[in-house]
Amino acid sequence: MNFLPLWRYQNQLIDGAIVTLELTVIAALAGLLIGIAGAVALKGRITPLRWLVRGYIELFRNTPSLIQIFIVFFVLPSFGLKLPAFEAAAVALSLYFGAYSVEIIRAGLDSVPKNQIEAGQCLGLSGWQVFRHILLPPALRNAYPAVTSQFVLLLLGTSLASQVAADELFHVAGFIESRTYRSFEVYAVICVVYFAMAMSFKALFAIIGLAAFRWPRRR
Amino acid sequence: MALVEIRDVHKTFGKVEVLKGVSLDVEEGEIVTIIGRSGSGKSTLLRCINALESVDSGEIRVEGEKVHAGMPDLKAFRQRVGIVFQAFNLFPHLKVERNITLAPLLTGRIDKAKARALAEDVLTRVGLADKIDAWPEQLSGGQQQRVAIARCLAMAPHLMLFDEVTSALDPELVGEVLKVMEAMAKQGMTMILVTHEMGFARNVANRIVFMHQGRVWEQGPPAKLFANPETPELASFIASAR
Amino acid sequence: MRSFTLIDFVSLFAALRWTVALVVLALAFGAPLALALATGRISRFAGLRWTMAACIQVIQSVPLLGLLFFFYFGMPMFLGIQVPALVAVTVAYTLYTAAFLGEIWRGGLEAVKQAQWEAGACLGLSAWQQFRHIIAPQALRLSLPPTVGFLVQLIKGTSLASILGFVELARAGQVVSAATFQPLLTYALVAAIYFALCLPLTLWSRSLEARLDGPR
Repeated sequence: MNFLPLWRYQNQLIDGAIVTLELTVIAALAGLLIGIAGAVALKGRITPLRWLVRGYIELFRNTPSLIQIFIVFFVLPSFGLKLPAFEAAAVALSLYFGAYSVEIIRAGLDSVPKNQIEAGQCLGLSGWQVFRHILLPPALRNAYPAVTSQFVLLLLGTSLASQVAADELFHVAGFIESRTYRSFEVYAVICVVYFAMAMSFKALFAIIGLAAFRWPRRR
Repeated sequence: MALVEIRDVHKTFGKVEVLKGVSLDVEEGEIVTIIGRSGSGKSTLLRCINALESVDSGEIRVEGEKVHAGMPDLKAFRQRVGIVFQAFNLFPHLKVERNITLAPLLTGRIDKAKARALAEDVLTRVGLADKIDAWPEQLSGGQQQRVAIARCLAMAPHLMLFDEVTSALDPELVGEVLKVMEAMAKQGMTMILVTHEMGFARNVANRIVFMHQGRVWEQGPPAKLFANPETPELASFIASAR
Repeated sequence: MRSFTLIDFVSLFAALRWTVALVVLALAFGAPLALALATGRISRFAGLRWTMAACIQVIQSVPLLGLLFFFYFGMPMFLGIQVPALVAVTVAYTLYTAAFLGEIWRGGLEAVKQAQWEAGACLGLSAWQQFRHIIAPQALRLSLPPTVGFLVQLIKGTSLASILGFVELARAGQVVSAATFQPLLTYALVAAIYFALCLPLTLWSRSLEARLDGPR
């Protein structure tokens, strides 16, 4: 076992990690927006729209992320949409994250008892005021653990983008492997890097959670 | 013109007609207590008064204005009518002060500089001035309910509705809430209460309204109603409530 | 390049046997390990709890692809012998299953109220008997929906074995797609097959969950 040859590829590893982070953040933000739109659509009254959202959710949750990335990268060009690897992975991962986000956000919104909304309305607050001040904070707190754990899973899931040659960390590992033939060492190292990134985010999310949601929980 | 005028209100939930032609007037400054068995329609009637439920036919007017879900300024109307619920419904993510000042601030009734003073004032009226910085979760049931009352008072309503506000409380906590309500009554607030608390009904109310099977069955001053119920239904209700 | 024929269609379905095989192996080895991890996590011994928690954290903080490659390259290196790819991959999927199922089952065990343990003790049952007859059945009922949900994740996860050369469904799709130049048809079929496998389980998990909340 020999880790030394890997040293000269430090910069590539760092670049790969940065691309991983970029891909994660983009997919997470886009996915959250999709999630909010989907949750609103699910609570609305346009039935075909609700069916569409339900169909989208089930499709993306019951098929592997790898296949989704392949389809965006290999199949969409037949329809005239040829995306480079990073963008293709970003689109696929955003849709994947979005499908999970819809459920999480919807559950968060539903977790606030209707009584609370009623009380707000009876005080003469407008619909928007009730949403912003009474519905949103508890909903966010209840959705927070699920969203943050999905984020970490997304971070780890970006490794699949390596299969369409996006320049994220896992793909960089393959590159270094082909140069150094130190297969085990390379993959061991990037596992450690993923681990460090994942744990850092978990710690960060824990701190943010403590700071943002300070009211006591129900007894 | 009475403060609240209810005329021949009918309401159906699904297949069940819950209100079968209710008519009632409440004058300004009156304390009206609505009593009756479960299912007699009392809570539904109360919730119709501030448009939480819609009426299928008939009419409700508060201060001359017709009440319905689509009324022109429902928000402004609700600021004039306070309602206290059985489940308190305090906002758990806001401290007591913020629970109280949220609506006055957001509706422009008061500005930030005066907010805390308002909270202190209404909390003093319910006897909880020292809890201004507490979280709702830290308070007992009786304290939470009193804060809920204070929250309504902060909006200076013309009418207060109480929907079985002591039913969810441990017995020893009921008294502190009733005391606050009694003080409000003495200060001239118009109050409509749905309650099982016969003691309060007897001692504080101006008028008792007995509802039975979705109708106003009997009404009158408490002394007369409890001593000489005219209908057998009321008589048996009073007997079972003892 | 040749056109998409019935043979390609059949080969996609035939590849399912690897998908199923990997799932079965992962469960066969992973489930007992998960049980050990779950019971270890609620044990009285703080050292045991912490060790198990750390192991689970590590496995859950690394990509599945990383686990696969780690064991694929690592096992021959450390054991000094030729390790068949299937063994390495099974080890990786086993640990993956054990970590996630272990957490799910720990949640189930902890959700059973303390009072149940005490009731068992009052009846004179030993800790093992309490676990076997009172706690475990209830924990199982509670854990069933998320366990079935994880099964879906596992099925999807087998697609990664394609990268190490296993001709399971995802790999078969790649092969057929390359041979016929029909990526749309091929991958649509592949997705449809996964969908047909996973959706019933997803729906079952949801109905189990609804039934849990129902009679209460």
